[in-house]
Amino acid sequence: MRNRLERRLGSVARMMPVAALTDRHPLLAHHPIGASTGFLVDERGDWPRLTERAAALSPFTAELAALSEIELPGLAAYLTHDASLPFHYLSVHAPSKDLRMAESKLVDTLARLPAQVDAIVVHPDVIDDPTEYRRLGSRLVLENMDSRKAGGRTADELAPYFAALPSAGLCLDVAHAYDVDPSLQGAHELLDRYACRLRHLHVSSLDADGHHVSLRDDDEQAFRPILRRCRDVPWILEAPLAP
Amino acid sequence: MSALPSALERLAAHSVDGLPHLLAARARTDVEVQRLRARLASVELDADVAVVLFGSWGRRELTEHSDDDWLLLVDGPLRDELASDVEEVRSLLGAGDRRPGTQGAFGTVGSGHDLVEHIGLEEDDNRNLTQRMLLMLESVAVVGEDVHRRCWEQVLDRYLAEGRSDHRPPRFFLNDVMRYWRTIAVDFAGKHKDDERKWGLRNAKLRTSRKMLFAGGLVPILRCHALRGADVRPFLAQQLALPASDRVADAFLSADQVDAGVRCLGAYDRWIGMVGDAATREELAGLDRASARDSATFIEVRRLAAEFQNGLLALLFETSLAPAVREYAIF
Repeated sequence: MRNRLERRLGSVARMMPVAALTDRHPLLAHHPIGASTGFLVDERGDWPRLTERAAALSPFTAELAALSEIELPGLAAYLTHDASLPFHYLSVHAPSKDLRMAESKLVDTLARLPAQVDAIVVHPDVIDDPTEYRRLGSRLVLENMDSRKAGGRTADELAPYFAALPSAGLCLDVAHAYDVDPSLQGAHELLDRYACRLRHLHVSSLDADGHHVSLRDDDEQAFRPILRRCRDVPWILEAPLAP
Repeated sequence: MSALPSALERLAAHSVDGLPHLLAARARTDVEVQRLRARLASVELDADVAVVLFGSWGRRELTEHSDDDWLLLVDGPLRDELASDVEEVRSLLGAGDRRPGTQGAFGTVGSGHDLVEHIGLEEDDNRNLTQRMLLMLESVAVVGEDVHRRCWEQVLDRYLAEGRSDHRPPRFFLNDVMRYWRTIAVDFAGKHKDDERKWGLRNAKLRTSRKMLFAGGLVPILRCHALRGADVRPFLAQQLALPASDRVADAFLSADQVDAGVRCLGAYDRWIGMVGDAATREELAGLDRASARDSATFIEVRRLAAEFQNGLLALLFETSLAPAVREYAIF
């Protein structure tokens, strides 16, 4: 009984001064900052546990990532039937790999996610027919892509998607923008052109293969001008912060 | 000579989307205020009486569906002979769907004397508090502009009489503004404990228009922490003469937080567009707590309201205002 209560209370039972967190890493001074469950690979598919891990970093915001299509039905069932989550801003990352189902069926599943999901992040390169995604309304959030992709990387390349999806928001993946343009002028242009579409940030560094890894000190320095322009939106960590 | 652009217009210039609904509502309000002033010019009132409009009129956010929340404001104590003046104004304002709110604070006569002398304690009831706060934060006179200004200055000076030190926000005024916001929020819960009629529209307004009213008072008062004591009154007089959205836009520009300001006021702009649409307003008015959960319209309002609030929180906690928020806004 006591263990269950402690498990349920989670981060409350382990409450600590914010100063301890910010001393450990200045990025954590931002509010709200939360975790993507995408990097919690050992617990993939265990949505209650993944949610608890995300809430331990922040009960205010999180991104539940169903990066492979096979993960989506379990997440949808969890959110629909089981979850009463604490997050003020909850994002779901839609599948971007191992896609097999028809696009209309995938969008059906995403559209049925309960109202507590504020944002549904979709990679533009998985979109064949943008009109299908209109059903997601303003919950649809398009993410800018990295240099490995053929499109959706820059403000110009995202323009046709936003023209077809006028209610869609933007998730600015800072590492992707840096990968495409190390001067970060491309990131500034995304913020200039789509200021009112910006919903949240993805924050991490990338390794040589384009995988999200812990934010490196030099990247954090480089990203600062972009982060300063985004103080009012949630930041989602796509990799754990370095100790 | 053309007027200088307002803070809202200057902020809008930074956004590719602009702030079309807010600026259109402002232009509409200006036209309607002039129209009402002409219409009420024939009403014979004593020299110490004003007709004052509140709410969206004072915020300059008038839509076709806004209420006429008016008050006959007397610069002094109440007197019996004003009853006929109230009836005359009632025949000219607030007809049909535009009738004033039902809380008893509007569509009646109010005493400037009470607004100044009864701050706190039993006599400062909900009605008095509401009239005073709206007078200070979102009001416009359509008759007796000088009377309105005099009452407004008397309340301001009463707040500032408690002390005007260098680099200290006027705490008495701050406490009353914060008390009013908390009162609105608590009264919302009280009002809807057993009656969920109009829950959706009222909840939407609490998240947006009422929060703009509060922020429009809170932010200028906190900005006084950067001022010498002698500059507090002229600063507040200048700021509070502006619509609330200008005060908030000016704070974002002063803090060099243009991006957050564009998003914050951009979200509020889209709310103004929604509440000005008859079908949307009707849908929101028909929602109770349960049906709101499945309403795409309400969910969109909630999203816009969150963006609006996130912008305000960034202004309060991620700029040079943050130490003043920490020092004065909690205790």
